[in-house]
Amino acid sequence: MNSTLKIAIVEPSAIIRCGMETVLRQLPGLRTQLTEISTVENLLESLRIHRPELLIINPALLGYSGLQSIKDESTCSEMKCIALLCSVVDPQILRFYDDQIGLYDNMAEIKQKLERLLVDDIPEVSENDEQQTLSSREKEIVICVVKGMTNREIADRLFLSTHTVITHRRNIARKLQIHSASGLTIYAIVNKLVELKDIQ
Amino acid sequence: MEEKEVSLTIQVPKQVSKKSMYKNSIYRETDKMSDLICENYPMVLVMSRFGIALGFGEKNIGEVCRQNDVDVCTFLTVVNFLIENKNEPITDVNKCLSIESLILYLHNAHDYFLNFRLPHIRRKLDDAIVDCPKDVAFVIRQFFDEYTEEVNKHMSYEEKNVFPYVRALLRGKKDPKYNITIFKKRHDQIEMKISELKNILIKYYPGKDSYLLNSVLFDIFSTEQDLASHNHVEDYLFVPAILALEKQLNR
Repeated sequence: MNSTLKIAIVEPSAIIRCGMETVLRQLPGLRTQLTEISTVENLLESLRIHRPELLIINPALLGYSGLQSIKDESTCSEMKCIALLCSVVDPQILRFYDDQIGLYDNMAEIKQKLERLLVDDIPEVSENDEQQTLSSREKEIVICVVKGMTNREIADRLFLSTHTVITHRRNIARKLQIHSASGLTIYAIVNKLVELKDIQ
Repeated sequence: MEEKEVSLTIQVPKQVSKKSMYKNSIYRETDKMSDLICENYPMVLVMSRFGIALGFGEKNIGEVCRQNDVDVCTFLTVVNFLIENKNEPITDVNKCLSIESLILYLHNAHDYFLNFRLPHIRRKLDDAIVDCPKDVAFVIRQFFDEYTEEVNKHMSYEEKNVFPYVRALLRGKKDPKYNITIFKKRHDQIEMKISELKNILIKYYPGKDSYLLNSVLFDIFSTEQDLASHNHVEDYLFVPAILALEKQLNR
């Protein structure tokens, strides 16, 4: 997180929008360039102009299929998206988001979520990569896999896209040279990520 | 020499490299059987799968084969194919190759893996991991049992579908619903998962140093190699031979 991160905040409530902005500005070690967007009408145009790397948006504004079409139409397909939760939202909608921030999240939680997303941004681990240890996100995914969850279920549980889950699984397989669920189970038990009773 | 081989395999887990310690000249039927085995000891498995026992004295390959009713051409084709370690399908199938004999060889190899090799490793593994934490031992055993079941499925398919199809083909009957290309496409690398177990034991096994576990590890290394060779024979020797046979029948 050395360079400046371009973030757009989309939220009709000025209080919440400014609050989010203030929190982001106060996060240590994060340099941001923020764009505030208050209505959906301005959304596409703003995205095209500012091309943010991260979109923090109230999911109620976009509904079920809105996020993908916004990404496509603004040609910001690489943009990460965080749902800003101000009310109860159907988990089906949240599936499309990379992560979510709630009104009661503290600074540390928000910082961790941003860091995790930006680490995710380094996608494929190359074949020659020396690094063998798993990130905390990858460990979470290993735990889900050995519990028998499908990619879709893992995506729902961790608020990731299934695409991201698949990328993580591919990286895990490359790092550990373990491709099967039963192989990951041995890894998880040996490294005390799960207990036997959790997976039976 | 031995040790160097092993460490090389750990670094390159996907493709076990051809062992340079074996002589890799082409064998003829006038060569001594004992020379073949001493120069390439994995060939003892090939010999056994053709139904030839040890104790053949000074006889040459041709004599030993004839004495055991083994087709010499097929025996030498398999031996030389494995020694050459080709990574692509053979282009011209030797006319003297007996497909019936090749099927028997593959069938006996299946029997060896399923009824001897894997159960034997399983028993040894059981003894080797008694001192490791119970939960770890449990998931290792579970892994191995699942793997054995996969190998069983893989080989049963060949026994129940591919071999009967080919035997009918040899009698001149072509099943309109099946062809060897179907098999070729669905045939997976059955040794991949056992090499995974090897990696896991090497990197993460939490127990103490154990002679027995090291011995199991050696068994896994050689079984991995053996299964890979077996698959090579099927993919690059058996399948091309059947393709040629299908072509001949369609003419």
